[in-house]
Amino acid sequence: MTEHDPGSGGPTLRTDRLGRRYGRVWGLRDCTLEVPTGAVVGLVGPNGAGKTTLLEMITGLLEPTEGQVSVFGQTSRAHHPATLARVGYVAQDHPLYRDFSVADLFRLGRAMNPGWDQELAAARMGTLGIPLKRKARQLSGGQQAQVSLTMALAKRAPLLVLDEPLSSLDPVARLEFMREVMVAAVGTGLTVIISSHVVSELERFCDWLVVLAHGHVQLAGPADDLIAAHWLFTVPRATPDAELPGRVIHRSDSDRHSAVLVRVDPVRLAVEARAGWQAEPVGFEQLVMAYLQRSSGAATTGNYVTSQVVTR
Amino acid sequence: MIWVSWRQHRSAVFGCLAVLAGLAVYAIMLGTSMRTAFGQDGLASCLARSQGTGCFGAVSAFDNEFGSEVNVAFWSVALIVPGLIGVLVGAPLIARELEYGTWRLAWSQSVPRARWLTVKLATVTGGLIVLGAAMTAIITWYRAPMDRLIGHFLHNSYDFEGLVPTAYILCAFGFAVLAGLLIRRSIPAMIAAFIPWLAIRLIVEFMLRPHFLAPLTIACSATPGGCFGHGNGGYGLSAIPPATGHIGDWVLNPSTGPSGNLISYQPADRFWIFQSIEAGIFVALTAAALGTAIWLLHRRTA
Repeated sequence: MTEHDPGSGGPTLRTDRLGRRYGRVWGLRDCTLEVPTGAVVGLVGPNGAGKTTLLEMITGLLEPTEGQVSVFGQTSRAHHPATLARVGYVAQDHPLYRDFSVADLFRLGRAMNPGWDQELAAARMGTLGIPLKRKARQLSGGQQAQVSLTMALAKRAPLLVLDEPLSSLDPVARLEFMREVMVAAVGTGLTVIISSHVVSELERFCDWLVVLAHGHVQLAGPADDLIAAHWLFTVPRATPDAELPGRVIHRSDSDRHSAVLVRVDPVRLAVEARAGWQAEPVGFEQLVMAYLQRSSGAATTGNYVTSQVVTR
Repeated sequence: MIWVSWRQHRSAVFGCLAVLAGLAVYAIMLGTSMRTAFGQDGLASCLARSQGTGCFGAVSAFDNEFGSEVNVAFWSVALIVPGLIGVLVGAPLIARELEYGTWRLAWSQSVPRARWLTVKLATVTGGLIVLGAAMTAIITWYRAPMDRLIGHFLHNSYDFEGLVPTAYILCAFGFAVLAGLLIRRSIPAMIAAFIPWLAIRLIVEFMLRPHFLAPLTIACSATPGGCFGHGNGGYGLSAIPPATGHIGDWVLNPSTGPSGNLISYQPADRFWIFQSIEAGIFVALTAAALGTAIWLLHRRTA
């Protein structure tokens, strides 16, 4: 399914007040996003934030309770062939039929996808040195992830969705996996969404950022713009929030000073710089953390793992 | 898609072929010796002459050798086999995908999940029909001499011949598919499907089957041996011929009543009507279970 036109300039993916309720609890609510073609989107949030819910609604595995998703201007309908064909999906833990050989899995892909690209699939296995006759259960975790990724790419879908692709991989396999994703994305103008709770892994690859917590979007936009719009101020502890030049996202107080991360208002920034204040630009991880801490209350910051391997 | 179903179920197919082969070996051995004994005991000529009366020697010789084929113990063991086949094949069909997380792989391809399930069910159902028909054919062949003595209406013949064995398998399969979707785990789904299957199976057999059609009655005085002169349709070769004097009639309750002594019975030639009615019940249950499963999967939240 490659009838999309990446040059048309419209958003690849749009969600409009998207929500999903499980019983009485909302897994995700009020999610409005517009992602341009060719973006590599990092979807960050703690476990239970609604990442998988959002991704499953984008892939057409889950019906929204309210709102809608559209991919290349076409409204997605859960469980419909056209919707399913538009998205390549690598699910959490990259599930494969364990007693299928790689060749069997590709045959399944060919049988179930009209746009299946067998040449691409076989060529990728050749490059990666994964024998087609090998059973899935005999492959290493990294190889299984690569087979899953290859199946998603061989669908020839314009949008690639990866749900926690790195969480079960060792550091070398993570790097190899992301390298393959980036090669595919750059080579074909693919739009990619990667969810993760390992913020530092995404920084290197993503040019778009969506921070999700408690079922709500906390922050979304091009990563560079977001970083440019936020500053970390070190100010005397007595300084009230209202004096800072913009919206205070997160504040941590020490004995005499406070470190305050602010989404700056450009007009006020010019006017209100003061003696005794220090301002420095923020990093990707710092920015994400500030929004997550803000959403959960500062007391729970310890729950969030930034850099190390997370096993679930 | 059909290839996908085949690839996922081929080990089950090989398992079923092994069971069939074992059954065939047993049937050929027993069936051959039954045929030989049937000829040696002169039963064929006796049956032609008198419907089995007056040749107790031959009948009891045959009974000594092959009586286990008509006893209750044999029936009770064989009774559960179609149910086991059905739940073993049916329960993992969806539950395994949910247990191993492979539903995310299966249902994110370009085939909608309801169609995925429909094709899978059609393929596997087809396979089970072939299996059921083959088992029925083998059993009917090897039992043929025995059935010439006791007819087709007693539990040991009726339940393993004609249309019903296949319908029993399908019904257990349908229940198990639905249970697998609802319970999401293979083993509990097998149990949850088997128990109602067995309950319905026994209720139909003992409470409904005798009344599928209104039984005929015959005055005791009109039968060769009176109401209790011969067997009354129970198990065992001593019931040859039954009280109606005609092999294959299913005698329900020979009784003495105020308006004279009557035997009510289902005549032997109703076999295929009864088989069709009973198979129809189980096929309808199968269709309801599988239809519900497809509908639920289509509407499923996750």
